[in-house]
Amino acid sequence: MSQDVSTGGVIEAIEPEGAQAGIVKKTLGPGFWLAVGWIVLIVLLAVLAPVLPLKDPNANFIDIQGKGRPPYGPSGDHWLGSDQDARDMLSRTIYGARVSLVVGFSAVAFGFTIGGTIGLVSGFVRGMFDKITSFIMLVLLSFPALILAILITSLMERSLLTIALTLGILSVAPVGRLARSASLVFSEREFVLAARTMGAKPSHIMLRELLPNVLIPMSALALLGTAVAIVAEGGLAFLGLSVEKGSTWGKLILTGAQTRQLEEAPWIAFVPITALFLTVMALNFAGDRLREYFDVRELAL
Amino acid sequence: MRRSLQRLAMVVLLLLAVSMLTFVAMNVLGDPLFNILGPIAGDTENPESIAKIEAAKAQYYLDKPLPERYVRWLGDFVQGDMGVRFASDGQPPVTGLIKERLPRSLVLMGMAQAMALLIAIPWGISSAAGSLGGVDTGPRSWRFLVPFALKATAVTYFAQSLFGSVVGVVMLSWFIALLLAHQFAETVPAARELVDGVNKTMSGFSSALSFGFISMPNFALAVSLYYVFALKQGWFPLRYDASDGFFTRMWQLFLPALTLALPGSAVYQRLLRTDLITTLQEDFILMARAKGVSKRRVLFRHALRPSMFSVITVFGINAGALVGGALVVETFFGIPGIGTAVVEAILREDFPVVLAIVMIVATGFVVLNFLVDLLYSVLDPRVRS
Amino acid sequence: MNNPDVLLDVSDYSVGFRTERGLAQVVDKVSFQIERGKTLGIVGESGSGKSVLNRSLMGLISSNRQIESGSAFFAGDQLVGRDRQDFWGKRIGMIFQDPMTSLNPVMRIGRQLFEPLKQHLSMNKEQASQRAIELLTQVGIPEPARRLRQYPHELSGGMRQRVMIAIALAGEPELLIADEPTTALDVTVQKYILDLLKDLQTEIGMSVILITHDLGVARGRTDEIMVMYGGRMMELAPSEELFSDMSHPYTEALFSAIPRVDQPKHTRLTPIAGAPPDPVEPPSGCRFSPRCVYAQQDCTINLPEADGPGDHKFACFYPVNTDDGRSARAANIENGQTATGLKIQTAGVS
Ligand SMILES: Nc1ncnc2c1ncn2[C@@H]1O[C@H](COP(=O)(O)OP(=O)(O)OP(=O)(O)O)[C@@H](O)[C@H]1O
Ligand code: SF4
Ligand SMILES: [Mg+2]
Repeated sequence: MSQDVSTGGVIEAIEPEGAQAGIVKKTLGPGFWLAVGWIVLIVLLAVLAPVLPLKDPNANFIDIQGKGRPPYGPSGDHWLGSDQDARDMLSRTIYGARVSLVVGFSAVAFGFTIGGTIGLVSGFVRGMFDKITSFIMLVLLSFPALILAILITSLMERSLLTIALTLGILSVAPVGRLARSASLVFSEREFVLAARTMGAKPSHIMLRELLPNVLIPMSALALLGTAVAIVAEGGLAFLGLSVEKGSTWGKLILTGAQTRQLEEAPWIAFVPITALFLTVMALNFAGDRLREYFDVRELAL
Repeated sequence: MRRSLQRLAMVVLLLLAVSMLTFVAMNVLGDPLFNILGPIAGDTENPESIAKIEAAKAQYYLDKPLPERYVRWLGDFVQGDMGVRFASDGQPPVTGLIKERLPRSLVLMGMAQAMALLIAIPWGISSAAGSLGGVDTGPRSWRFLVPFALKATAVTYFAQSLFGSVVGVVMLSWFIALLLAHQFAETVPAARELVDGVNKTMSGFSSALSFGFISMPNFALAVSLYYVFALKQGWFPLRYDASDGFFTRMWQLFLPALTLALPGSAVYQRLLRTDLITTLQEDFILMARAKGVSKRRVLFRHALRPSMFSVITVFGINAGALVGGALVVETFFGIPGIGTAVVEAILREDFPVVLAIVMIVATGFVVLNFLVDLLYSVLDPRVRS
Repeated sequence: MNNPDVLLDVSDYSVGFRTERGLAQVVDKVSFQIERGKTLGIVGESGSGKSVLNRSLMGLISSNRQIESGSAFFAGDQLVGRDRQDFWGKRIGMIFQDPMTSLNPVMRIGRQLFEPLKQHLSMNKEQASQRAIELLTQVGIPEPARRLRQYPHELSGGMRQRVMIAIALAGEPELLIADEPTTALDVTVQKYILDLLKDLQTEIGMSVILITHDLGVARGRTDEIMVMYGGRMMELAPSEELFSDMSHPYTEALFSAIPRVDQPKHTRLTPIAGAPPDPVEPPSGCRFSPRCVYAQQDCTINLPEADGPGDHKFACFYPVNTDDGRSARAANIENGQTATGLKIQTAGVS
């Protein structure tokens, strides 16, 4: 209402005072870098786990110095304690990150490749193709995701590949929907229209003009999506339906979640819970900041 | 009207697609005969087995082609007969199982959504109220004192029971100091600064908290809440027991429902806060204030309703996520609902149950979102005409 | 100040906002008085601080970036530095510029109108709806009973503005602040609303502050007019005296920008060249000097204070109707520009 050209900028609407409003400079902020730092740390630990001086995650360190019956509490020996089979929680948590992260990242990679492509194309070519893919996405979206995941995992053997693939398939629809709406918006922009009138090939337009623009909102979604996939894997594991071999955060939490374990040795559950929580929060936070930074509306939680 | 009909047709089409997909997937990927009979299914030599196989085929129409079976199933389903179970000798039939399990899950999810809103609305409003500014509830009025006293008591009690009495005493003295600061805020600048500082810290704390709730996976939250409030504090029962009385059972559902509610409440709170801050910039809010309406009334009566659109949209969508959550939470807290039923059924390859539950959930989800659509017009009279 | 007829007595009232660029002095040392039952017009270009002045006086701007100083007595009570909730609706009413956005879209007209009735006059539901119907009738709304059940979007702009007036009058305030009540309306409706306001005022006997950027609107409907520019008071005079004997170059410029019936369309319109001042870094000396055709060197150095004989005050070193003024202008026209470098096109200036 009260914008004043002479002040060289809108100062602040006079109306009822967005007390904190005003000109906020767009930066990602230190929190973003902190979050990214945590993600990098976890990824590094997971990747380098075999070469790091960690205890064997599957070895039982029973009664080394006559400490009695496991589980052992956190000590100089086991920084984060041990589980009921006297296995080192620190190294188990770090090794657990490997599965969780691989599942998270590859599910998202799959979902983004397929969903992103479908969305991009259907937003650009529209017509029948768009109608059909949109309906399929709608069908996929009206399945309760976790039930679908259990269904698929129960019908197939539960290897790392199937779990990642299942979660990847589940992320196709939401990703596709976003990619489609972004693609729809950008298809209307001048630069795309210009390219069209100049007779550029549709494939060229999609790759050169649309893709780079659609990628921006998608990068924020990728981080959020990874968080969702990691949580979903955890949920499956918690139901006893994740990867059969190896430990994942969800499985670790499950072992610690029995009433007896919780009473005697809460760290068994809470070490992986903390790791999972911090990682999910870091991914969410980084994604959220990116979203705000690029001002992507459709992504709001 | 036309739009509603179109939507309805779309919904039906959608449900058909979902059911067909599930039906086909389970019959093609799985082996129903094996699921029913076990190893006997592969035994085509023993005449006894062959008889059983024939009987089972006839009973479950497995000798009929897939499309026909689907149509049969669909016909039965819309009439409320969800078929015969594969596992546990078909008893109770799927419909019976659902009848027993579904109400419990509905109560759980309903409770969760209600809790989420009950937490989110005051939370959202108080976190947005700052942008309205102005103190109209002086520190001496009961409008200020009563909520303040309640808040102080609750927080002190919590702190005392979770972290010991020393922390409790510290909390209590802190609240008394804060009350004094409020009293003298108008005259003593230091007190004003303290109050402002506290408000600022609290708003940072509130957004961190909501972010934390959103990032806490439901199973981890279930374990944490269970550990703190059921195991350590003993405030809540450890297990659900279907044979207990009604109120005991509701009480047993409290913690599971809270587990489902907290992440939702954080999402709602964030949405509500954003929308409220936008609404509070509107002219009609200024107008309401200028006519002398109290701050509380401005927030609850004038600003809240026009700021609920994102919340109710996501409320509908969140119902879907809640089903996934119910699966985990019911399993963890040992509640025999449809969540546990579907997990059991999947593990035992009891496909008719899975199919029925998938359909019920999908229908519920679609119907709820249809209702949410109608709710828009209740919230906004402009949509009606 | 002790005159019992004076309802609102404002002196040296200033409002600033802390901004990223520094302090924005949006209202700067404004002083005026309003007697009971009288109307004050506040006129000025967009951005001159009219709305801020009034909202701030009313305590509706509650940003912690706002700094308020000076004094404002309302019927003897100091307003500045205190929470003004008790005054809202009950002693001071307010109507806003845009009737399209100033009514709550999701609340029936009835409820919006009952609120002040219930709150300020402690009426019950029945009394309130009876009084609401009276009020709607009073502001000229046909079928008032039916309107109560309608939502704002079912009413036209003019109707909504009337509803807003009814709401503002519901608490029976002693002072009504009308912030550009007709700017958003059709020309035909404008006159009707303004006349309605005038009639209601004489009927009820309240004081009115009528804010507008159109001198023509203020003419004939106000007892006194204050002309604001860049947050400062330029001229304050009894209405007719302002028109017959205007002293400030800014008033003159505003006046010549009014559409006038006695001039054919194509010859009028001397919009004031240039833009209003930056509230953070206002021009030194007289705020109007960069755009003033009378401006001399000392205008850019010294800040003129509003002063003058009797109740006619103005803040200018070279008032329009004086010899000083005339020669200043003549000198500028001769130079083809003013002391601040403003080019003068002789043809455009009347
Ligand atoms: N909260 C604020 N912070 C900083 N500057 C503000 C604030 N509110 C208003 N202003 C500035 O105050 C100046 C005066 O605004 P105001 O709305 O009072 O003008 P006005 O005379 O009412 O104009 P209009 O005729 O457009 O209504 C403008 O330059 C505006 O940018
Ligand atoms: S003549 Fe000087 S003081 Fe008077 S308005 Fe013009 S610039 Fe200001
Ligand atoms: Mg204004």
